[in-house]
Parts: sequence; C-alpha cells; structure tokens
Amino acid sequence: MTAAPVTAGLRAVGREARRLRITPRFRGRELTLLVIVAIALIVGDLSLGATRLLKEAQLAGDQPPPDLAVLAAPAILVIYLIGLFAVHGALVLAGRRTDQILLPTVGLLGGIGLLLMIRLPQDLAGRLGGLAQTQLLWLVIGLTIVVLLAIAVRNDVWLRRYKYTWAAVGVGLLLLTFVFGRDINGARLSLTIGPFSGQPSELLKVILVVFLAGYLSENRPLLQEESTRLGPFRLPPLPYLAPMVAMWAIALGIVIVQRDLGAALLFFAVFLLLLYVSTARFSFVVLGLAAFVVGAGLLYFVFDHVRTRIDIWVDPFADPTGAGFQVVQALHAFARGGLIGTGLGAGLPSIAGRPPIPALHTDFPFAALGEELGLVGILAVLGLYLVLVERGLRIASAAQDEFRAILAAGLSLVIGVQAFIIAAGNLKLIPLTGITLPFVSYGGSSLLANSVIVGMLIALSERTREPLPPPRRPGRIRRLLDRGAA
Amino acid sequence: MTGHERAGGTRPSGRWPIGQREPGHAHPVSGSAPSWAGRRIGIGAALGRVALALAFAFGSLALGAGYWQVIESDNLSNSGDDAAVIAASRNVLRGEIFDRDGVRLAWNKLDKNDEPYRVYASDALSGVLGYSTRQFGTSGLENAWNAQLSGVVSADPLRELTRKFQADPSDPEALRTTLVLQLQEAAVQALGRTRGAVVMLDPRTGEVLALASTPDYDASAVSNPDTSAKTFDQLRRDNRAPLLPRATQGLYVPGSSFKIVTSMAALGSGAISPATTYADQPRSEKNGWLIDGYRVRDAHHLFTGNTVLDYRQAIEVSCNIYFAQTGVRTGGEALAGYAGRLGFGAALPFDLPTEVSQVTNGGGPLPGGFADRVELANAAYGQAEVLVTPLQMALAAATIANDGTLMRPHLVLEATGKAGTTTIGPSAIGQVVAPGIAHEIAAAMRLAVNGDWGRFFTAGAAVRGLVVAGKSGTAELGSGQPHSWFVGFAPYDNPQVAIAVLVEHSGGGNVKASPIAGQLFRAWRTWTNG
Repeated sequence: MTAAPVTAGLRAVGREARRLRITPRFRGRELTLLVIVAIALIVGDLSLGATRLLKEAQLAGDQPPPDLAVLAAPAILVIYLIGLFAVHGALVLAGRRTDQILLPTVGLLGGIGLLLMIRLPQDLAGRLGGLAQTQLLWLVIGLTIVVLLAIAVRNDVWLRRYKYTWAAVGVGLLLLTFVFGRDINGARLSLTIGPFSGQPSELLKVILVVFLAGYLSENRPLLQEESTRLGPFRLPPLPYLAPMVAMWAIALGIVIVQRDLGAALLFFAVFLLLLYVSTARFSFVVLGLAAFVVGAGLLYFVFDHVRTRIDIWVDPFADPTGAGFQVVQALHAFARGGLIGTGLGAGLPSIAGRPPIPALHTDFPFAALGEELGLVGILAVLGLYLVLVERGLRIASAAQDEFRAILAAGLSLVIGVQAFIIAAGNLKLIPLTGITLPFVSYGGSSLLANSVIVGMLIALSERTREPLPPPRRPGRIRRLLDRGAA
Repeated sequence: MTGHERAGGTRPSGRWPIGQREPGHAHPVSGSAPSWAGRRIGIGAALGRVALALAFAFGSLALGAGYWQVIESDNLSNSGDDAAVIAASRNVLRGEIFDRDGVRLAWNKLDKNDEPYRVYASDALSGVLGYSTRQFGTSGLENAWNAQLSGVVSADPLRELTRKFQADPSDPEALRTTLVLQLQEAAVQALGRTRGAVVMLDPRTGEVLALASTPDYDASAVSNPDTSAKTFDQLRRDNRAPLLPRATQGLYVPGSSFKIVTSMAALGSGAISPATTYADQPRSEKNGWLIDGYRVRDAHHLFTGNTVLDYRQAIEVSCNIYFAQTGVRTGGEALAGYAGRLGFGAALPFDLPTEVSQVTNGGGPLPGGFADRVELANAAYGQAEVLVTPLQMALAAATIANDGTLMRPHLVLEATGKAGTTTIGPSAIGQVVAPGIAHEIAAAMRLAVNGDWGRFFTAGAAVRGLVVAGKSGTAELGSGQPHSWFVGFAPYDNPQVAIAVLVEHSGGGNVKASPIAGQLFRAWRTWTNG
C-alpha cells in the first residue's frame, strides 16, 4: 500500500471532523493502561491455552505437544480487545476531558471475567454459541452503552428534574417483578417480557441512586436539621425520615417477595452510605444499622429461606454435601488456589463435566478466580474495584454541585458495595447472597446496568465547566413546560 | 462539616442554601482524610470517611481470603469433601468383573463427559454384583470389593490428593469371581416372576456358583448417569423390594428343610441314633402329638399308616411328629449349639453382608434360649421362631455333602491388578458333624428325593441320570401362602454342587422349589459337561 491514499484518507477524516466540529483529544494515560490491560489479557489467554493443551494430552495419554503457545478462543479475545480500543478511539474523537482510568479498570475486570467464561464449560448458560460468546455479546453491548453515555450525556436535567418519575419507574419495575417475576432457585429475580428477560434489580440500583441523588441533594438542609430527639439521637423533622423508612420497607419487601437478599442488602447499604455522604450525620447510620438488625432479626425468625442462609453461614460444614454444599465447595476452591493459584484452566476439578460449584459463573466467579489466580490474583481484583470506587469518589468530590456529587458517589459505591457483598459471601465473611460480581459475573442485566454506571461516571467526570442548571424553585417545571410549548 | 463542628463544640445551626459552602470545611478534619476531601462542597469529608470505610471492608476481604487460601488451605484441600478428591475418585476406571470361566460380567463405558460408568452383562447378576453409581453409592460385590475395584487402596486423604498428580494414579483390580453366568441366569429364569432366591455352591470349596435373587433389576440403568436417578427411585418405591438381595439378606421361616439341621444336632449329640423310633408316632398321626397342651400335627398318615418310622423314613416323609419329639429329646442347647457351628447366630463370614439366621428369639428359660418345650418342638421341624437366609440353608446342605465339614463361602477367586494377582483359595470353617453322621443324613436326603414315599413330596428335584439328595420345606406362615423350600446336593456319591431354593408365598415345597432345583441341577450338569 502506498502512502498517498492513506494521507488522502486522513485528510478526508480531518475534513469530516472539522465539519462535525470534532476536536480529538489525545488520551495518553488511557491508551497506556489499555495496552497494559491487553497484554495482561493476552498473557492470561496464552496460559489458558497452554493448560488446555497439556490437559488434553494427559487425558489422551499422549506426550505434551511441543508448541504450547496457543491462544484459547482467540476470536473472542480479539473482538473484546478491539471493542476496548474502539471505545478509547471514540472517546478520543469526542474530545471531552473525561476520566481516563475507569475504562482500563473496567476493561481488565471484564476481560478477566471473559477469560473465566472461556475457561468454563460452554454449555453452562448462554443462547449463542455458549457461555463465552454470549458474555462477549453483552460486553460489546455494554461497551457501546459506556461510549454512548460518556459521549452523549452533557446535561443532567433529565435526571435531576424527574427524580420522582424515576422513583415511580423503579417502584413500577419492582411491582412488575413481584407480580410477573419468574422463580429461579426459590428467588424471584428474573422478569420476562416477550423475548426479553432480565433481572430488574440490576437496573433498579441505578434508578435508586438517581432518585437518592435528587432527593438528598434537594432536602439536604432539612435532613441536617435536628428538631426531633429520640433518646441520645437528634433527628431531623420526622416527615423527612419518611424516605428512610420507605427504603427500609422496600428492602424488606424485596427480601420477602423476591427472596433477593443480595439486592436488598445492596440497596439498603448504598442508601445509608449516601444518606451519610449528604448529611455527614453518623446518627443516621447508627439508626439505619439498628433498623437493619431489627429487620434482619424479624426475617430470621419469620422466613425459612433467610434462616437457612444464616444457618449455612454460621456452619456450612454441618451439612457439607447438602445445604452447605456451595459455600463449602467455594471455600475448598479458595483453599486449593492457595497463594499463587493453580493457573487459569488448571483448577476447578470437573465433576460430571461440571465445575464443582453450582452457579459458579454468576454467583461464585470470585471463588473461581481465587482458585485459579490465587490470593495474589484476587487481591489484584479487589484492588481494581477499589480503584473504581476511588475514581468515582474523586469525581464526586470534584463535582460542581451536590446532585452530581451524590450521583457520582452513589454510582461508584453501588459497584464497590456489590463487589464486597458477593466477595464476602464467597469468603464466608457474611451470609451468601445471590448477587453478581460486577463486570466479572456472567449475565446481561448485570453487565448492562454496570455499563450504564461507568458511562455516567465518565460523563460526570468532565472537567470543562458547564453552567449548572439554575437553582430549582417552585413552578420551575411549569415554566419550562410553558416555554417548551411556546 | 458536622464532624469538625462537633469537635469545635458547635453544631450547624440551620440550613445552608444549596450551593453555598458550609463554614469550616476548607480545613480537613485530620490527616486520615484524603486531600480531595472537603474541597468544593460540604460532602467532601463524608466522602473521605466512606472511602475509608470501604477500604477497611476490602481489607477485611483480603484478610478473609488470606485465611482460607493460606492458613486453612492445607486442612481443606486434604479433606474427603474436596472436589479434587471427589473428581479423582470419579475418573477411576473400576476393575472389570468376570465369572469363573472368564465371561465378562461388569465393565465400564464412558459418558458424554468422559467419566466412566458401570455396565453389567445381565440383569440376573443384580442380586450378587449389586450396582456402582456416583449418586447412590455401591451395593453387593461392587460395594464389598469397592477398595480393590476402584484402586483406592489408601484411606489416607493426603495420598489420595497426591495421586491425581501422578501419571497413572490408581491401580484398580479386576476380579475373577466364583460365579457361573449361565447358572446365575438359569437360576433367575427358573424363579421367573416369583420372588425368591437361589444359592448354588461347591460344597468342597465353598465357591459360590450362583447367588440369585428375584425380582432382579437392570443394574446398568442404575449406574448409567442418564437413567440413574429415575431408575433408582422406581426401584426404591417398588413394593416387591427388588433391591433386597434375598439370598443373603432375606430372612425366612425354613419349614421342614430345617430338619437337616435338627438331624445334625440330634445325631451329632447322640440324642437319637438312625434306628430311633417313637412308638406313639403312628397313633399321633391321626390326632396330633400332644406336648404341654399343644398338638403337633402331621399330614402324611395316609401313606405311612401304622408304620413306626425310623430316622431315614422320618426324613423321607418329612415327619413333623418324629422331629418334634427328637427336638425335645435333643434339647435346646444342642440344637442351638449345632446351628451355631453352621453359622446361625452371627453374620456369615462371606464377601457380602448377611442377615443373621436364628433358631429362636432367645432369652427364654430353657437351654439355648427357648421359651418352652412347645417352641423347641416346633423349632425342630423349622417353625416357631426359626428364621434363616437361603445362603445359610445352602451351607447346611453343603456341610452334609462335604462329609460334615463347613467350608467358608466365597465369591472371588482372583484379584488382578498391576501389582499382580491375589488368589483366594478354599478354607474350612470347621467340622460340624462326624463324616459318618453326615453320610447318614445324606442317605436320608437321597431317599427324600428318590424313595417311594419321598418321590411324592420332592419329586420335581429328581434328575434322570443324576442322583440328587435333598429336603423340601413348606414354611407355614401366619397368613398367606407358605414359602416353598428345597435344599440339597448332587451327585449323591461325589457331591459337587449344593443348592438352596426359596420361593416366597408359593405353596408347598413340592409345588415350586423342588422343580426349580431339578431344573438347576440339569443346568449344572450341562455346565460341568460342557
């Protein structure tokens, strides 16, 4: 190929960019990190490929093949990496001064999850060619969402103005699940409408944060007031405690009706954290925790499935082949991994062609990583989540007003708290709840919701000053609507 | 933020207009707050504390992971629950099982996950080989020889774990059994749709040639992972109890077949001699023999009339009154003692687990644990509280056939692994009665099959060209049809096969069990000659 057409092509692109008023902005840090991520994932895939060849040779009783440098499922990995760099390219073209750390961090987490899905038996789940292909499809859709939100969202009026609409959407979603949800493994997590099915609680967590950001930023001064006394606590006027009570009730409702302990725990924890962030009042946290203890105690004595979960948590080894099977096998997986792990593909002994832990690809990827990457590997994974949360909180602290601050904090805390809940459940630090490990677990709903979060965080991180919407006064919406009509 | 204000002794006094800075938050609370805390709006310090809390939470995750992956790592990985240990045991190709002539009885196939499962040559083997499944464990010979068949010699979990790293971790052994597949199949076929059991063994060595139990079942379907759960569930619900190995674990009233045991005790202890007769016996045939207010009745007076029966004749016509009186004369101690030498009162020394046969429930005031003389009299002809396994009755017949010496019954001739072949030879348990007494009982049993009177009772067992000796039994039960029994051996002059046939609830011994025995003696002759 000669240089002439290339230069001509570049010129054409430049002309087109000027016409669209695109001013590309080089994102050096993001590019460097993405290259490191790509190298890490390729090395991981090579290790997986070599392990596979060795295992096959051992099964067949053959000598190990001389050339072990083979990628496992190269097409899937290459498509994913192209996707990551395409997102980077789009962000460069968009020219916004946004965060450069989030994309590589999420890209590595998603890539580790993808390697795990390539490594697991492909018939575990997935409608496409199997587990890995389906996960890849969702990852690509997720990356698209990230890039669309990161580029397109420049205005947050549609979020902050309509917080009660969002709340209504959330409650409606919840009610739909209550009524039409399908029971899977005793939990009503999944909603099917036509050909689409998904877990509404994943979307709900985003909506919850949007609503809380709107509500808390608006009512922050009132919540900080201390006109009511309850024992040693000074509380704001009682009516303003209503959302807190409502949250508590919704969390309880989710546990009772949906049997989704994980989502309830996540929602309640994020709510308490945001309440604290917006009011800085520790007494709220104490009250919230007290309400949590009371609620948990009630649930323990009234509902069998809650009691079972707690009992398994207290002593999974009491029934290692029955009720405690999953938890015990997860602990065994961590133990087999040890300090440096067995290596990708070399752990998780296959029993009847299945990994030893049921629901491994959704609920126990952390245990699987613990076995194959070892303590070193999961410390790295935990570190990635901390980086994510740190970026989110940094974006929050740099935000121009409380709404954006609470929104950014809430979005990043959702991911951090969710990762903690499932990792701690895997490690038997808290009772196990069926919730996904963000970006790593298999599943469309989870990946899409978390992509929305990342996309919004990147959009919120823009450092160019944009005028804030004017302070809200009564009748403002009315006037807006009038103006729109005129 | 409120945090500092409290530290400074004041509280926020009211509401801040949105967007306006709170006083005092320009200075971070302490060194622990990150530099970006509290910069622009009043939530910076709180964000810092939340970040700190989350960092602590993730720190606890790291500690938890360290606990399981470093401190508890060895403990967990070495336990039998560990998936690696389970997977290793599942991938072992169990040793194959052969009959004594080298016919393959059990082997392995691979399922779609390349994990092996068991296949059996015939349903007829289910009562002796049992099954080997992943989900429901093992039974029968598969269970008894599990360690050798699976090559799991070590009970030490640590060695179990390291074995999976070896190129060829296990040494499963193949078994050559004492069984004869064609006899096993003939036995199940002869039993047909009835519930029952057949035991055939070589009285000289204790080698079991056939150990059949009906109804049989498809053990391959139980072992195949695709059909395992459904099949096993059906078998468990089946009220005909196909999973019960009747030959070794079914307990039955023996009826008259037990008279050969009473004979060993009576003749062996010297309580009677072959010439012993009871003068009142012919008279008692009509109205029964009265003992302590109980009448022992009989059913053969039409044939024998006023004949005073001696021992051989009493066996030939299966005289209950003769044996009731003999039992009382022998006494409970000798009866229980001789039965004990045959294996009664304890599990039999056999490859498979066996139920314990008994002559009485025990605990009674009479010697041997009998409650009274009525129980003793009834037990002597196999009623009262006498309960036996078919294997136990086959051993009684084998003892008589083998000049009074009881050989230990066994199922495996050779176990062959990489390390070599282990051979299991015959071994004697002990002399139960003197050879002369065994010969006397054998002669009586020959009459029972071939004598002019005996033919009427046990005719079906006779085989042209083969002298069969035996004793039938009709075990009267409280309700329902009696159990039908035949125990015996052949050839009379040179015994090479002993047999016990039981057919549940099928009527008199001559109706069902004796013809089956005859059929199986013919099958045995075909096999030995072939």
